[in-house]
Amino acid sequence: MSQTKLLSIIGFISILTLCIAPFLGMNAQLSPEMYQHILQEIRLPRILFAFVAGAGLALCGMVFQAMFQNPLATPFTLGVASGASLGAASYIFLGFSFSLFGIDGTSFSAFLGALIAISIVYGISHFRQGFSVETLLLTGVAMSFFFSSLILFVQYLSNVTDSFRIIRWLMGELSIVGYTDLLQLLPFVGITLAFLIWSSRELNLLMAGDEIALSRGVPVKKVRYQLFLITSLCVGGIVAITGPIGFIGMMVPHMCRLLIGHDHRWLIPASFLFGGAFLVLCDTVARLVLAPSEIPVGVITTLLGGPFFIWLLIRSKSSRS
Amino acid sequence: MTTLIDCQNITVSFHDKQILNDINLQIEKHDYVCIVGPNGAGKSTLLKTLMGIAPISSGQLLLNQTPYQQLTQKQLARQVAYVPQSHQKLLTFEVEAFIKMSRYPFHSAVSEWQPEDQSAVEYALEITKTDAFRHRQMTDLSGGERQRVMIAAALAQQTPILLLDEPMSFLDPHHQVEVQQILHTLNKDCELTVIEVSHDINHASQYSEKIIALKQGKLFWQGDSADFFNTERLGDLYEHDFVFVSHPETGKPVALPSHAVGAQS
Repeated sequence: MSQTKLLSIIGFISILTLCIAPFLGMNAQLSPEMYQHILQEIRLPRILFAFVAGAGLALCGMVFQAMFQNPLATPFTLGVASGASLGAASYIFLGFSFSLFGIDGTSFSAFLGALIAISIVYGISHFRQGFSVETLLLTGVAMSFFFSSLILFVQYLSNVTDSFRIIRWLMGELSIVGYTDLLQLLPFVGITLAFLIWSSRELNLLMAGDEIALSRGVPVKKVRYQLFLITSLCVGGIVAITGPIGFIGMMVPHMCRLLIGHDHRWLIPASFLFGGAFLVLCDTVARLVLAPSEIPVGVITTLLGGPFFIWLLIRSKSSRS
Repeated sequence: MTTLIDCQNITVSFHDKQILNDINLQIEKHDYVCIVGPNGAGKSTLLKTLMGIAPISSGQLLLNQTPYQQLTQKQLARQVAYVPQSHQKLLTFEVEAFIKMSRYPFHSAVSEWQPEDQSAVEYALEITKTDAFRHRQMTDLSGGERQRVMIAAALAQQTPILLLDEPMSFLDPHHQVEVQQILHTLNKDCELTVIEVSHDINHASQYSEKIIALKQGKLFWQGDSADFFNTERLGDLYEHDFVFVSHPETGKPVALPSHAVGAQS
C-alpha cells in the first residue's frame, strides 16, 4: 500500500477516535445542560489534551529511536522522563511559583530536569568510544532509578499536601486537566512538530549512522544538540502537567515504522496522529474499566508497554544472532 | 598537476591517544590513491580525516587551498563523498530512497526535488549496475549488491573526490573485479579522484597509481605504485618477509607473504 494511503488511514482512525471518545462512558440520564457542560468543560479538554500529549510523546520517542538507531531508546527508557519528573517534583517541593511568557514554572523545571538527564546519558554514552546500545540502555535504567530515589527523597522531605500532589502527579494523570493545561501544552508540541518536519531529512540520514550522515553533509553534532533541546522541551512540557506517561514513545513510533517505513517525512505525521489517538484510547480505557473511579493512564500505558519492551528486546537479540 | 587535498603536519588524537602523527601529503587531481599499511596503522582515520570527520588536533588540512574548517559540512559534502567500511549495521531503507538521500547537500529544508537530482541518481544506479534492484530493501541485498549500492549512493553526490574504506572486503573475487572496474571507469572516464583504503597490497599495486603507506600513525612511504614493491620496504612495513612472482597476464609483480614464520621481526 502506498504511504499516502496508509497515512490517510491513520489520520482517519485518529479523527474517528477523537470524535467517539468524548461520548464513551457518558451518562445518558443526565439533564441536557449537565450533559453539555460535562462534554464541553471536562471531556473535550481532557481528550484534546490527551491527544496532544500522546502525539508529543510519540514524536520524542521517534527522535530518540532515530538518533540512537534503536527502537528501545526513548526519553522514557533513557531516564529523561524521570529527570523531568524530578525537575517538576523539586519545583513543587521548593514551593516556587512563577511563570514565564504565560508558561508555568513546573514546565521549566521539568525541561531543565530533562535537559540535565539527556546531557548525562549522552555524556556517558560518548565518554568511551564505541559504546554499545546495551550500555546506553543500562545507563538509562540506572538514571531512572537514581532520579526515582531522588524524587522519593524530595517527597519524603515534603509536607503532606505537597507529597500528595507529587504522588498523584507521578502516576501519570489526565483527569484534572482543563483548557488552560491544553494551552500550556500546545506551544511545546507545536514547536516540536514544526521543527521535526523541518528536520526530517536530517533524521533520515541520522538513522544511517553518524559517518554516513556527516559525509552527506549533515552537521551531526549541531543537529543532535538541536534535537536534544527540542525533545527536552517537549518531554518537559508534557511531563510537567501529566507526570511521566511511559512507553508511548516506544510503542507508537515503532508500530508506525512497521506500518509506514522509516522515512521521516511520513513517519512524523504518522507518529503524531497515531500517538495522539493512542493516548486518547488508553485514557478512555483508564476512565471506563473501573468506572466510576479512574485508573491513572500511566498505569495502562505501562501495562501495555512493559511486555512490548520485552518483546522488542527478545526480537532485537534474536535478529542479531 | 593541481593539488586537490593538502595535508600539512596533520595529527589526530582520540582521547589522548595519537592515531595519526604529523602526516604530510598531497593528493592531486584525478589521482587514484591507495592507502595501505598494517592493522591499526591509522588508514581508516586518515580517510576520515580527508572526509573532515576526524578530530584534527594540529596541522592544516586544505581542500583546493581552502582550510577544511572554513567549509560547512554541506559544502564539504559537495566536494568529497565517502563509502564507509562495509556495514554490519543493517540499513532499513529502500535502495533508491537511500541513494536519493545523498542529494542532501544540494537542498535546503524546503527545496524541491530537481531534474538534475534525478539524473544524478539515475547515473549512479546505471554506472554501478544497481538499477535492477532499485526498489528492493537494503536489508535484502547480498554483500556485493550492498557494496555497489553504497558506492552508488556516494556517486549520487556527484563530487570530484571519492573516498572508500576497504570497498573490497567481504566481496568474492568476481564482485571484487566488478567493483574494481566501476572505480577504474570513474577514475579514468569520469575523472574522479579516488582514494581507497586497502588491506590488499596486490590490489593496491595493480590498480592504483599512487600509494600511501602508513605505519603506526606515521607516513611510512608515498609514491607511484609501480615503485612500491621492494622486498625491504614491504618487510619493514608489515614486519614480515615477502616473496614476489609476476602476474601471468599483466606481468606486474605480485607479493606473497613468506611462509617462513618469524623470518623478519
